Amino acid sequence: MRLAFWLYEGTALHGISRVTNSMKGVHTVYHAPQGDDYITATYSMLERTPDFPGLSISVVRGRDLAQGVSRLPSTLQQVDHHYHPDLTVIAPSCSTALLQEDLHQLAAHSGLPPEKILVYALNPFRVSENEAADGLFTELVKRYAAPHEKTALPSVNLLGFTSLGFHLRANLTSLRRMLQTLGITVNVVAPWGAGIEDLRKLPAAWLNIAPYREIGLTAAEYLAETFAMPAIYEAPIGVEPTLAWLRSVIENLNRTGAERGVPPITLPKLSAFSLDGLSAPSGVPWFARTADMESFSNKRAFVFGDATHTVAIVKFLRDELGMKIIGAGTYMERHADWVRKELEGYLPGALVVTDRFQDVAKIIDDEMPDLVCGTQMERHSCRKLDVPCMVICPPTHIENHLLGYYPFFGFDGSDVIADRVYLSCKLGLEKHLIDFFGDAGLEYEENGVAASPEPESFTGNGHIEPAVEVEKEAVALTEDGEMKWSDDAETMLKKVPFFVRKKVRKNTDTFARSIGESIVTVEVFRKAKESLGG
Amino acid sequence: MHPINDGVVAGSNYQEKHFMMQVSGDVQIIKEDNVTHSFCGLACVGWMYQKIKDSFFLILGTHTCAHFLQNALGMMIFAKPRFGIALMEEGDLSKNEPTLEEIIREIKADHNPSVIFLLSSCTPEVMKVDFKGLAHHLSTPDVPVLFVPASGLVYNFTQAEDSVLHALVPFCPQAPAGKKSVVFLGSVNDATADDLRAEAEELGIHVAGFLPESRFDKMPAIGPDTVLAPIQPYLSRVAVKLERERGARVLHSLFPFGPDGSRVFWEDLAREFGITIDLRDREKAAWEKIRSQTDLLKGKKVFLTADTMMELPLGRFLKSAGADVIECSSAYINKKFHARELEALAGVRVVEQPNFHRQLEDVKRLQPDLIVTSLMTANPFAGHGFVVKWSMEFMLMPIHSWSGVIPLANLFVSPLHRRSKLPAFDKEVWLEGVMPSAE
Repeated sequence: MRLAFWLYEGTALHGISRVTNSMKGVHTVYHAPQGDDYITATYSMLERTPDFPGLSISVVRGRDLAQGVSRLPSTLQQVDHHYHPDLTVIAPSCSTALLQEDLHQLAAHSGLPPEKILVYALNPFRVSENEAADGLFTELVKRYAAPHEKTALPSVNLLGFTSLGFHLRANLTSLRRMLQTLGITVNVVAPWGAGIEDLRKLPAAWLNIAPYREIGLTAAEYLAETFAMPAIYEAPIGVEPTLAWLRSVIENLNRTGAERGVPPITLPKLSAFSLDGLSAPSGVPWFARTADMESFSNKRAFVFGDATHTVAIVKFLRDELGMKIIGAGTYMERHADWVRKELEGYLPGALVVTDRFQDVAKIIDDEMPDLVCGTQMERHSCRKLDVPCMVICPPTHIENHLLGYYPFFGFDGSDVIADRVYLSCKLGLEKHLIDFFGDAGLEYEENGVAASPEPESFTGNGHIEPAVEVEKEAVALTEDGEMKWSDDAETMLKKVPFFVRKKVRKNTDTFARSIGESIVTVEVFRKAKESLGG
Repeated sequence: MHPINDGVVAGSNYQEKHFMMQVSGDVQIIKEDNVTHSFCGLACVGWMYQKIKDSFFLILGTHTCAHFLQNALGMMIFAKPRFGIALMEEGDLSKNEPTLEEIIREIKADHNPSVIFLLSSCTPEVMKVDFKGLAHHLSTPDVPVLFVPASGLVYNFTQAEDSVLHALVPFCPQAPAGKKSVVFLGSVNDATADDLRAEAEELGIHVAGFLPESRFDKMPAIGPDTVLAPIQPYLSRVAVKLERERGARVLHSLFPFGPDGSRVFWEDLAREFGITIDLRDREKAAWEKIRSQTDLLKGKKVFLTADTMMELPLGRFLKSAGADVIECSSAYINKKFHARELEALAGVRVVEQPNFHRQLEDVKRLQPDLIVTSLMTANPFAGHGFVVKWSMEFMLMPIHSWSGVIPLANLFVSPLHRRSKLPAFDKEVWLEGVMPSAE
């Protein structure tokens, strides 16, 4: 038992519904108490689904338990009657899993044919969102994928693309664009947008592409084993990884092509991949070489996220932007070994593996990096510390579900990521000017940062008090127990560029404590500057 | 699109079950099977922890409870929120009783609360955890730990506020007999509370306070000469408890929403104090103030799908405003506590614990002009071409009494206005590919 406030991964039920909500003609019935279908709101609000997500609850009330009544059969009948799904996935919630009911038997009482029902009863206390999603998707692929004639021309399946995935639609578009440029057709995208018939014809493709470590990989491995389908598991994030990925796609398809007497695919001139078809496909290589980007060499970055994005972003920041990686971590304990192996030689210390956001916030507070790449939680932690942060993976926030084309995959994605790094960090010439002339006229309202309201919640807090006040309270709390500063020292601190002021204050506090001072005077501040070199 | 037919599938052996319940007068309540899209009682943490400022809300629950609070309620963790989950993990399932001492210590050290509310959730309820015993065991004279039943096995959405207030009753001092005064029942923000207090005092009514007040040590005194005036429609249990235990009188009136509700509420409350007032002119003036809104609502077909349990008074206001309320559904209806609202709703189809699938078919058949519905279903209804209003917004806006009349009316008309300002919408074009199952 521990006190938790916020968790990175969602529940098994959430993972299951992410897969079924992605699919056509598939419905999920939660065998659960009132309210466990709150997940529906994440689809209808974050993804703004214009139709009802295929999720229904078979309500379990306390009275039903006392009377030994189950509404599951009638709920299944209702769902079948109203929505006519090809398949209904039945999943227990954490509380009903403890009842140890025979859901197969209860489902059978509905009179629905067994082929239209899948009971997916995981242990919700052991399995979380991603493992459940990956598991259910694999289960569905095993159930439906059937031997199939290969397509006449080179084709691929794109696996693991799932509802609420990070920049999902834009990533798909980016991959489709590159495949189209190579003349490769997409056989099936799954689970996103796939129906049962699509799953049946998965083996018709020549190659599986499963770029997410978290979801889709197990299904691709199953298809490799059972249908001898080759697969590519790398994520094309960054320019060089995208080039390697393209070569790998071509090589794999040409191997099949050679067996089938289909002419080989060749890599066209790279400008063919650009948006206008005339230019370099990505601005990143040149951008990284421009003179003002030299300041990246001294930027210290910390990365925390799921497995796929943590690995890819660490590599991108160091290999393509030339930044310094001071640490990285993941909340995906299941994939920690893979992340460690992938990042061998990239990290100065051990990989951080934790599902407690407080641990990550503490690292950020201690290190005060120049850039943090993380989840929405790191974004919050960083706002309090005034540390630049960009969100690179789930769990996301409504702000990460935008309308525009912001892929992370492919050449297009490299530009998007580099832009976000650029906008997040304080950079180049501007930084020199500020360092030299103090605030250089760029002084911002210091309070502005903490007070800016965010469209955080669905609910707002109008009922009782504005959210802003909560945040003020937070700031006050973090400042508790800090070292006192004399007015002169405060004035001197004001001359330090605003964006490093917090860091300087913190370092000076630590220095003052280390030499046994209880108040930071001008003299202590000067000593600190000398001692800390700045 | 999901294939949803308007008619009944031939040969289907399936039938939705419902029965009728007779209440006083002509009002009939149709009762269905509660297959709704709404939240469990834990949702009340969202506003209660902010209302009672020296409290901590501890939920004994699972990953699901934590995920619900952080996602569906969009609760942000700025630093040290005054709520948290004692997270039950697999190893905790085999233990007889949860051990919360360490967590309570942590909460006290970090937050120094005056009171800790211990909320139940579904998993420990299924495990039959003795919450009362647990809370008693964890309580100290300085910091009581109060059990609040809130699980989705029993409680919907706002109903757990009733449980919180229930738990607070022993901390309301006994008011001596003799001085008649009112205690307003239900959490509202401080500005609304000030308004209600000023209004009562102006009428010559002595105000003893609110249950709940903003601080644990300031809960109002309640006794045999207390008149309890419920200002939220989901608090029937605590009202009954106070009636029984303290001999307090519960005001049975309309809830103070809208010109009609406000007039009846204040007139009835004044009558309890032997004061006769006639607020008809004031009501008329209030209607006049929202005439442009009611002109728009007149004759509009409105459907309330059931979510927050504020539906009965909202439906009644709409009816008084001239709207055609084609269904007013609520998760829980108490024939006594809601009697006046039900009377005022005579002629309206009132459903308790509705079935959402049936509602969806009715909506498609009846084509309402406005649907008041939950967060889960609002956008999909909009995707089907309907004008919607989030039911939850009515809980977050100051819609009480006279000062709330305009905000209340505006909440209903603003989606109608907005729809009329946006250009015509071609679903074929603008919805294509925006949802996998809609492609």
